[in-house]
Amino acid sequence: MNSCKEVRKLIDQAEKPDLLAFAVTEHIERCSDCERFASGRAGLRKLLASTARVSAPVNFEAVLNARLAEVKSRRLFRWLSAPGYVRLGAATAGLAIMIFAAQYAGLFSKESDRAAQTRPIATASEPATPQSKSDVTAASPTNERKDNSIAQPVNTMRRREVVLGKRIAPAAVFTAEDGGVVIVRGQNGETDIQIPTVSVGAQPLLLVGAGRRVAPTSGTSF
Amino acid sequence: MAAVTHQAQAIELSGSRSVEAASDHELLAAIRDGDEVAFQEIVRRYRNPITNFVYRMLDDYDRSVELAQETFIRVYTSASRYQANYSFSTYIYRIATNLAISELRKRKRRKVVSLFSPFTNDDGDPIELDPPDLNMLQDETLIANERRRAVARAITSLPQKYRAAIVLRDVEGLSYDQIAHTLSLSEGTVKSRINRARNLLKEKLSAYI
Repeated sequence: MNSCKEVRKLIDQAEKPDLLAFAVTEHIERCSDCERFASGRAGLRKLLASTARVSAPVNFEAVLNARLAEVKSRRLFRWLSAPGYVRLGAATAGLAIMIFAAQYAGLFSKESDRAAQTRPIATASEPATPQSKSDVTAASPTNERKDNSIAQPVNTMRRREVVLGKRIAPAAVFTAEDGGVVIVRGQNGETDIQIPTVSVGAQPLLLVGAGRRVAPTSGTSF
Repeated sequence: MAAVTHQAQAIELSGSRSVEAASDHELLAAIRDGDEVAFQEIVRRYRNPITNFVYRMLDDYDRSVELAQETFIRVYTSASRYQANYSFSTYIYRIATNLAISELRKRKRRKVVSLFSPFTNDDGDPIELDPPDLNMLQDETLIANERRRAVARAITSLPQKYRAAIVLRDVEGLSYDQIAHTLSLSEGTVKSRINRARNLLKEKLSAYI
């Protein structure tokens, strides 16, 4: 047998006011207090459910679409907001640091590579002199060289036919073992110096007439 | 089945099946893929229930419409994060409930006082000032309007934690399980709150029961 407290709990928790268990209905028929409770709950639930429902206005979807379009555009340009500026600035600074670090590291690696490449060539015993200027210019010397050793690593130079001493070397790639040293005009400290003409003192007086040089005659003065 | 994957729900809404025949989960999967027609169908299905629910919570029609629209915007923008573990109605009512409760808290901070409840009791709950209307009732329409206003005032006067539960149960007709998931509460807590809310409403609406 259910107590009144349990019955009222079951009445209150029923999915629908008129759908009660048989034991609850049986108890209600014998208990006037629980019957009043059940009728009160049913009336209240009916009152709440019967209250006129409000509907969305006719322009609900139009306003919603306008607001949604605004939200979409705001999300599209969200990175331009104040926090976006901060993020953009931080990303730019980070990128600049990375570029600077890469350049700095690359500078030192080139120096070390160059030193490693020029070291065996500078100690070569048999210097190789190119026979013609075309052989030299085909070597495409680098502009970064400032010393007098070599214009470019020899092992990367191709030649057509180069006379090494009294023999003709086969067409191949020079290596450090070839022992050749290529001197490139204008690229190894050898420079052409042009001195401007300087006139000092009086110059001889010449008679110039119609483009011909005329010797002065006697009795004639100028 | 509770755990339904999005992939299984993703159907071609523009194909053989019409949008009207698609389930809520299928429509959400289509919205996630950028289907605007599916979103309009979701709006068509839930605009009136959500507007009515928020209106019962706030008793402010204009603000209720704004919050209902905000609810749909959040559904659209968070469609990719939607988990189809529960019914979609639970999900959308949860968003609407959170928005309504947030609005009620804002109003409480702003000391917004309703013209119908300018006074509060010792607990801080508003006391409804309902002076007797001595005029004669004209017709049934007037009686219905008066009953509606009384119910609205009674619901508005409820404490916030009871209000959402009783509106979802007795006005919107959600089950206890759905309300528990919507409010992130245990089912026992929901039943207790609804019982307390009904007891309070019974006192306020005894003249209409």
